[in-house]
Amino acid sequence: MLRMPAPASAGDVGEQLGLAVPEFQDVELAPVVLLRGKGTQRELLVSAAAVNALVGSMGYSAGSVLFADAFGVLLDGVLMAVESVAESELSGSPYVYRLTLRGPVSLVV
Amino acid sequence: MQNARDTFYLTLRDRLAALNPARTMVVRGATRPGLLVEENELASAYEPADAFRLRWTGVRVDAVGALPLVVMVCEIRYGTDGNAGNGGMDRGRLLAGMDAELAGAVNAAPQRVGKRNYAVSPSVELGTNVFWGDVAFGAVTVNGERLERVATVEVFCYQEAGEL
Repeated sequence: MLRMPAPASAGDVGEQLGLAVPEFQDVELAPVVLLRGKGTQRELLVSAAAVNALVGSMGYSAGSVLFADAFGVLLDGVLMAVESVAESELSGSPYVYRLTLRGPVSLVV
Repeated sequence: MQNARDTFYLTLRDRLAALNPARTMVVRGATRPGLLVEENELASAYEPADAFRLRWTGVRVDAVGALPLVVMVCEIRYGTDGNAGNGGMDRGRLLAGMDAELAGAVNAAPQRVGKRNYAVSPSVELGTNVFWGDVAFGAVTVNGERLERVATVEVFCYQEAGEL
């Protein structure tokens, strides 16, 4: 699941001062392949078709913008931060997005 | 301390917006003046170019006196890639423009403002001022095609009784 913050309220001083927190919505991200990385790091391969569907329905301009705005990815109830995003292209169109996820600090040993 | 931080941020934000209303940024779909406080945003937020990012670093308290004097160090980070239409060749000029805006906003008199509590609505004026020194500019760093700078301002306030 991809956790997305709700759009900010224009002119809301409370949000700018950290007094009000945005609401979040979880959207399904599938199909994906999860790979183990170093330590708590994980790599998530996401089908571009799934990303394109989200980009269209949520009004983003590109997949990279969608992931830049995301708060994180929920894996078995654990929120992982998106550390970096790379995309592989075929004939100029992305066919897979490669997300590097960073685990919560409490899991670092 | 938090009241002083909030007051300083909003004062600086409004001064920068008055100097250059066109300097805005989009945060989670909303267009805002081009200054944010990093600790008030989502940890996943990206670092926007052509905008100012405010970070509170050092703090010390001088307890000698009727009210404790708090000195806070405020870092203001900013950078620019230049205009894509100009091939980024104007990035030095754009950074110089940001330098001038920041100096104009911070160093303009008066370098003080009445401290307010924004945790209540509507905000209420407290009894003391927030005041600050001149901005000190760090060296430019080159990060790929981006020119970046960190400027520092010392912000002072009195810790009032019962204040967080």
